[in-house]
Amino acid sequence: MLDFFTIFSKGGLVLWCFQGGSDRDEGMMGAAGTPILTAPLLQERGGNNSFTHEALTLKYKLDNQFELVFVVGFQKILTLTYVDKLIDDVHKEFRDKYRNEFQQKGALGLLNGTFDFKDDFMRLLRDAEESSKVRAPTVMKTFEQSLKSQKTVKCMIETRGEKPKEKVKNKKNKGSKKDGTEAVAAPSKASAGDKQLSAAGEKEELTKDEILQKNREEFFRRHMKAGEKSRSPKPDAQKEKGKKPRVWDLGNSNAKVLDYSNSATNGSAEACPVEEFDPDMALGDKNREPGRLYDLEYESDDEAEEEKVVQNPSKASVKKGGLGGMFGMLKGLVGSKSLTREDMDPVLEKMKDHLIAKNVAAEIAVQLCESVAKKLEGKVMGTFTTVTSTVKQALQEALVQILQPQRRVDVLRDVMDAQRHRRPYVVTFCGVNGVGKSTNLAKISFWLIENGFSVLIAACDTFRAGAVEQLRTHTRRLNALHPPESHGGRTMVQLYEKGYGKDAAGIAMEAISYARNQGFDVVLVDTAGRMQDNAPLMTALAKLIAVNAPDLVLFVGEALVGNEAVDQLVKFNKALADHSMAQTPRLIDGIVLTKFDTIDDKVGAAISMTYITSKPIVFVGTGQTYCDLRSLNAKAVVAALMKA
Amino acid sequence: SMAGGLEPHLEALRRELHGPAVLSVLIALIAVAVTFLIWRFVQGRRSSRKAVLLLGLCDAGKTLLFARLLSGRYRDTQTSITDSSAMYRVSRDKSTNVTLIDLPGHESLRLQFLERFKAAARAIVFVVDSVAFQKEVKDVAEFLYQVLVDSTVLRNAPALLIACNKQDVTMAKSAKLIQQQLEKELNTLRVTRSAAPTSLDGSATGGPAQLGKKGKDFDFSQLPMKVEFVECSARGSKGEEGEADLEGLEKWLVKVA
Repeated sequence: MLDFFTIFSKGGLVLWCFQGGSDRDEGMMGAAGTPILTAPLLQERGGNNSFTHEALTLKYKLDNQFELVFVVGFQKILTLTYVDKLIDDVHKEFRDKYRNEFQQKGALGLLNGTFDFKDDFMRLLRDAEESSKVRAPTVMKTFEQSLKSQKTVKCMIETRGEKPKEKVKNKKNKGSKKDGTEAVAAPSKASAGDKQLSAAGEKEELTKDEILQKNREEFFRRHMKAGEKSRSPKPDAQKEKGKKPRVWDLGNSNAKVLDYSNSATNGSAEACPVEEFDPDMALGDKNREPGRLYDLEYESDDEAEEEKVVQNPSKASVKKGGLGGMFGMLKGLVGSKSLTREDMDPVLEKMKDHLIAKNVAAEIAVQLCESVAKKLEGKVMGTFTTVTSTVKQALQEALVQILQPQRRVDVLRDVMDAQRHRRPYVVTFCGVNGVGKSTNLAKISFWLIENGFSVLIAACDTFRAGAVEQLRTHTRRLNALHPPESHGGRTMVQLYEKGYGKDAAGIAMEAISYARNQGFDVVLVDTAGRMQDNAPLMTALAKLIAVNAPDLVLFVGEALVGNEAVDQLVKFNKALADHSMAQTPRLIDGIVLTKFDTIDDKVGAAISMTYITSKPIVFVGTGQTYCDLRSLNAKAVVAALMKA
Repeated sequence: SMAGGLEPHLEALRRELHGPAVLSVLIALIAVAVTFLIWRFVQGRRSSRKAVLLLGLCDAGKTLLFARLLSGRYRDTQTSITDSSAMYRVSRDKSTNVTLIDLPGHESLRLQFLERFKAAARAIVFVVDSVAFQKEVKDVAEFLYQVLVDSTVLRNAPALLIACNKQDVTMAKSAKLIQQQLEKELNTLRVTRSAAPTSLDGSATGGPAQLGKKGKDFDFSQLPMKVEFVECSARGSKGEEGEADLEGLEKWLVKVA
């Protein structure tokens, strides 16, 4: 049964709502703070049109022409088959009934109109429910009706050495098990084969015995060649006759026979025969200058070929269009043409390939294009806009939307808050090996010191050789740059380390309490790099984060990563969620994107990471010196991404 | 001989120019150009800064306020994912209209839509949820800061009204308290935002503009535009059937239009 159905405009006005369930669904409509119904649209996950929220499954449909959203909700445990059809019917009827209101300029039509849709909706619902019940439940066949009763008992008995057709069927369906006890298995297999027989078709019943014989022979032939497991009774019987010792080819000979090296030949020239040496063949190119190293020859023919191949089909399609194509183009330029899937598909394909070329993870590029397609389907284009420009515009907006942070990105403000409460602000850095955690930790501590906050670095990387020394060098350098004298006698940065091999979570806890006692403003916790597939290390990281409850968990990822980014972030988040005891587990709060100076304009990793986690990119690392720390500029990144 | 060669050509040209066909073509072209210019001028006049933007965080009550102002009735609302706009007759006597534009408040959308509509803004109504204000004060201040340091906003200096909504609830904070808290928070934000790492393409995140006066604590009177605070309730204290409590807001709209 439907729990609720609601129709609202994209601008936020609820036009009509139906609540079939209990009043607990009030939460849907008056959602405080977090938008429940529009969440997937906002996160650009619109490719798949159904999503779950608590105990309900929600399906939605967009009308892009009149900017409406239709949402239906029903219990997750039910699978209602008529829901999709119902949404489509309701959409059509609602749109036709209230067309006048929608075509008025601005939102006045929606505001002033009354949408009394209940009767129509109940009628449509009843129709949909009945149409799903039309098919009567299938009645089971009686024994007389089945084919098994028509078979003689004789053909179902299996004797050793004979391979009836049923066995072949079983093999095909991968149902075959190794049969040590064939006699017991035979009748069951025969019955299984029978079912398949009856399913297979009518013609086989007529000349069953003949077919059996034929298949038996074929089976024999096949298994003569392959030497299969099912013939195990025969080889089994053979083996049991007597165990003969296996003879290796060289097993009985001693080492002397095996030694082919002739100790006297090394160094003497007569031992090996002089082979025929053809200098031309060995040298190859006769015209080369002696001693010169030539460049790699670059063949650009392949690219030209590909372009020609691509152009030909497009030319063919243009020719096919002909006059109709001309009119279509003109009609598309002027006046109201609504976008269809076919129009958008070629453009979206190109955009998807373009995004993938810019290092966006492949699955995310696909999902993004799907979501953009859903948002644009049925939309009426303005005058003088082409399909390409509309799609590009929509994709650009979607990308900017993804990169906008969904929570505040202001570390300094939060540090000030923690300062007021007299507790240190704890930041944890996690990530895979070699992404730049320690380097960026040093950069961030430099930035914090410049703003007047004292920093304690906790060396919780107790595994990698030299990790503690690296941090100690950074600490020394930072203290040299900002000596205590210029900050009122206070040491601005200090290292808390307990050597190698100890438990990282314990060191972190001690570091935090040390910072609280000594009055440090910020604690930066450096952890060891770990692969996302390494379960024990992920458990250890999750434990560190769950036990110490840091204020900010930063995932450090390099901008060079491609499709791996998706896997890394998903597995890190999963590990953190699985091993946390709390009701709301601490997940990754933000991303640090490093090595940004190494990618030219292939900035797709930023999109992949923010799409997967919906968390903002807090810092961007652009080099190895202390000043190479930036914040993300969404517009610049999207511009670089959309550039041809 | 050169001049002699040119003369017949010039004669021919002059004759051509005096011909009726060419003259009519010329007149037609001039007429088209003039019409085009007039059209652009009218368009520009019509759309130049006649909009009143409704900004604010998610769930502040902008869409309900929009509905109340335009139709007077209560409507259920959902989170907006796109803008809605309509003409609003400011008062019964004057015939001036303004375009009320309701922008989505969701974090991923708000800046995009602000970019689109900020140039046309004659006035901005920043709606604040007075009940959840204590919890949200940092987010409210951040959004307000982003609006205030925007270069277009600073240049045009549209009148700003901070509407403290949801006053029908007993726990709502007063406008005075909200003003004080916002001033304190914006004071801190000035420092932290300008100290943030510079943006990727070189432009600083806080913008080159400094909010208010340096050295002194931030005050709303230091801004180039007129700022007012008003209390209102879009839902209305008499329940959904009753009237909304929007007097202050409507009076301000009359002043601004």
